[in-house]
This record gives sequence, structure tokens and C-alpha cells, in this order.
Amino acid sequence: MIFTSLNFFIFFPTVIIIYYIIPKKFRWRFLLIASLFFYINTQPVYAVLLVLISLITYKFAILIEKEEIEKKRERYFTISLILILLPLFVFKYYNFFNESIFSILEYLGLRFRLPEITLLLPIGISFYTFMAIGYIVDVYNEEIEAEKNVGLVTLFLSFFPLVLSGPIERAPSMIPQFKNNLVFNYQKAIKGFQLMLWGYFMKLVVADRIAIYVNPISSHIEQHSGNTLLLSTLLYPMQIYGDLGGYSLIAIGVANIMGIDVRSNFNRPFFASSISELWRRWHMSLISWILDYVYTPLSFALRKLKMKGVLITIILTLFIMGMWHGATITFLMWAAYQGIIISFEALTKNKKFIFEQKYNLTNKFWYIFISIAFTYILFSLSFLTGGYRHTFSDGFLAFKKIIVDSSPILLDKANLTYAFIGIFMLMISELRDEFFPDKFLLFDNKNRFIRWIAYYFVFIIILILGVFNTNNFIYFQY
Amino acid sequence: MEKTEIIDQLTSIFRKTFSDDTLVLSDEMTADDVDNWDSLSHMLLITEIEEQFSITFKLRELNKMKNVGVLINIVETKLV
Repeated sequence: MIFTSLNFFIFFPTVIIIYYIIPKKFRWRFLLIASLFFYINTQPVYAVLLVLISLITYKFAILIEKEEIEKKRERYFTISLILILLPLFVFKYYNFFNESIFSILEYLGLRFRLPEITLLLPIGISFYTFMAIGYIVDVYNEEIEAEKNVGLVTLFLSFFPLVLSGPIERAPSMIPQFKNNLVFNYQKAIKGFQLMLWGYFMKLVVADRIAIYVNPISSHIEQHSGNTLLLSTLLYPMQIYGDLGGYSLIAIGVANIMGIDVRSNFNRPFFASSISELWRRWHMSLISWILDYVYTPLSFALRKLKMKGVLITIILTLFIMGMWHGATITFLMWAAYQGIIISFEALTKNKKFIFEQKYNLTNKFWYIFISIAFTYILFSLSFLTGGYRHTFSDGFLAFKKIIVDSSPILLDKANLTYAFIGIFMLMISELRDEFFPDKFLLFDNKNRFIRWIAYYFVFIIILILGVFNTNNFIYFQY
Repeated sequence: MEKTEIIDQLTSIFRKTFSDDTLVLSDEMTADDVDNWDSLSHMLLITEIEEQFSITFKLRELNKMKNVGVLINIVETKLV
């Protein structure tokens, strides 16, 4: 069941009504049932896996906490990490190993192949696996106590707004809320509705409109001109932002309506003035998870190498992130591309800082604007080295065409106009939040009349310009 | 080592790492308050502190450093 399906529009109001009718102490149990129902409705078979991982996570957290002998504690910790990660590896990398590694062996004359099976990736497996690992590490580091109620751990991992695509939450902020904070909060509920409305706008108007233009082009790169490819490359980051950003807002909004706070996932990413800053504003729950549980331990281990250690860690972290997005050569290229840029930024950071201070550049509008545009272009181009529907040679072909092929651009005028209206509205709203917070408010205006006009306006825009026949979110495949 | 001396030494390490000669430390200060302080420079800062005071941090202590005050306290306990 996904947020844009009709089922969800029946499921969600029903859940809300029952949730607020029943006494407070039963609410988390009801949420658990609703969440399992939600997942079973999406992928019945794999719900077993979700429950199994919850049980393992629950059990090992308690074992780790109780154990006093450090050696045994470490052993429990390692075993639990392996058990939790194993399904992700099997589902994600089985075919990769089968195809790439063994085809290389075959090429060398060694015939050795595992039976071919096409495994459908369990939806959300990366997200709940990461949350489970975060919880285990937090217990191991004694930052939180192990939860004694198996139901609460299962709810933490299967909570329906987050289970399919995040935001990747942390046990210390979620479990206490499930335990004793499931009450109606008017302000929060209003905020939740606003986030949902804007989330649907981002998904249905921005992402899905762009998709109509971009998707067919990127699957037939050879047929399109350089200019067309350039436009679709530049639109692509907006598409992913609308898709995952919109999804995240709906998820956070749904949780808010139930009185639950969830961390945000994007912070106006396209107002970043460097790639490193963009990564602090983009898919923040994943990046902060990677920072805490991958980057920090790695760079801590390599800290004696100073700057060299930092650079090695950046490359390794990006490599792991690339592998997570997909075990393909294109994502390795993507990681290398990002790694080179971020390393360059890290090396020149202090010089840049001093330079900017000297000429007072960070206060100048034209400088900010150029930095933002430059960052956006660099980021867009990274998807040529590896995007989820490209092979490396596709990306290379696209890049070559952008440079040399100047035949006319393909413009699907009506659809692109709709997309640009969506992008314009999104960017104007973010421009306001970035540079004029608390001014020109619409959803949050003190005047009730203006608020309602804004709600209706966005609602009608969604109805008129939205795309209602797709039924997918890009990030479900991770 | 006196606490003021620790803070003095830390201040000069901070100023050097973040290229800001006017930086003044306070207990409540976090990475958000310092322009140049991010996850990249953080580990360089940690290594610099370790070398200057000849101490070694544990990863667990690193996770606990929520602000400069906690950092100062951890350094202080290690020097006793």
C-alpha cells in the first residue's frame, strides 16, 4: 500500500479514527497491528522477514545489555550485526555476485555459477535494516537501554509511515514517543496536514510531471539530442527531490497527525552552495545515519593519518553509499565522482573560507547565487556517471552527446509547462524559507482566510496538474 | 593542569583548525555555532587535541561530546 494509492486513502482515515477513539494505553499496540497490516498489504511474504529481524534485534539488544564480559558482549554485537545485515546482502547482492563475479570467472575459463533466481527486493529492507543496526549500536554503546517489550521494538522497525522509505529514525527518539506520548496535539496535527498536502504536491506535480519527460528519454539515450539530454539531466535532481522529498513530507505529516515527531529528511537542498553542504541538506536521515554509524567509526580508526585519513574515509563512505544504491559499476563511478569533489572541497575548505571572509563574499547575493547554480549543475552531472537507470556506457554516451550534438531539443510543451509551474512554486516557497523566514507566510499565515485560500490553491493545483496514473516512488527499490 | 589552561590550549587548537582567530569557546558551543566545523574538520580537531594533550579518546567518548563543555570535561578527566 503506497501513499498515492486509493487503499491508503481508506486505510489512513480509518486508522486515525480508531487510534483516537481507543484509550491511550492501547494506542501503540493498535499502531503495531496497523503497521503490520500495512506491510502485509504491500508484500505479504516479506512481512515475515520484517518480524524476524525485529525479533533478532529485540533479543540481541537484551543479550548485549545483560552481558558483563566484554569479549562476549562484542561477540553478541558482531553476531547480531551479521544476522541483521544478512537478508539485505542476500536480496541486494545475490544477483550482482552471480552475474558480475562469476561471469568474470567464466571468462577466465572457470565455470561456476549459482542457480539463477530472481529475487524481488523486500520493500523498505534497507530502511528497517539501518534502523535496527542503529538501535543495536546505540545499546552496545550504552547510549540507550535495551527495550524490554518486543512489541515496541517491532513497532519501531515496522511503523507504517516510515517502513517503506524512511526517514531513517533512531530508537532514542521513537521508542519513548510510542511508550508515552501518543496524544492528540492540535498544532502538530495541522502541521501534519500541511506537510502531507505539500508532499503530495511535490510528488504528483513536480516529480511525476518531470518523470513523464525524463523517464522515456533516459531509457532511450541513443535516440535523443544533446540538448534534450542536457535538459533531462538538469531536471533529474528535481525529480528525485520531488519524489523522495515529497514521500518524506507525507510520511512525517502522517506521523505528526498521530502526535508523533519524526526527523526531517531534506532542508532545501538546492540552496546549498557546495556539494558537501548539499549532502548535509539532502536525504539527511540517511546521511546522518551514515555519518554516525559508518563515517565516524571509520574516520576515528584512521584519524592518525590526519587529512589523508579523512579523505580515505570519505571515499570509503561514498563507496559504501554507492554500493547501497546499487551494486553496479555506475554507482561506483558516481561514488568516485562525488568523492573527488568532496575531497577537493575538504582540502580547499580553509582557503575558501579565508578568501570569502576577506572579500565579504558570503553576504553578496550574486556570489551565493552563482555558488548555488554551480553546485546544482555539478550535482546533476553526477547522475550521468551513475543513475539508477543508466549503464556506464549510457552515461558516457549522454555526456558525449551533450558536448557535441546540437540537434534540436525535444519539448513536450504542455507537460513541461506543468512541470515548470510545479518547480517554480516549489522553489519560490523554498526561496522564502531560505532567505525570508517568517515573511510572506501562506500555510502558516495568522489570517485564517489566507491559510485556507493557500490550502485550496495547492489542492486544486494538485488536482489539475498532478499525475494520477503512476503508482510508484523511486526509493522503494532501495 | 588547570581548567583555564586547558581552555586556553583548546582555544588555540580550535582557532587553528577552523581558521578563525577570533573564536572564543563556551560550554554550550556546538558545531552549529562555528562556521567551519563539520564532520570533516571534526576528526582533524580530535586528532589535534589528542596530540597536544597526549591523550587518547575512545569512540564512545566521541559520541558523548554534544558540546564544547562536555569536550572540556572529558579532556580534564583524562589529564588527572
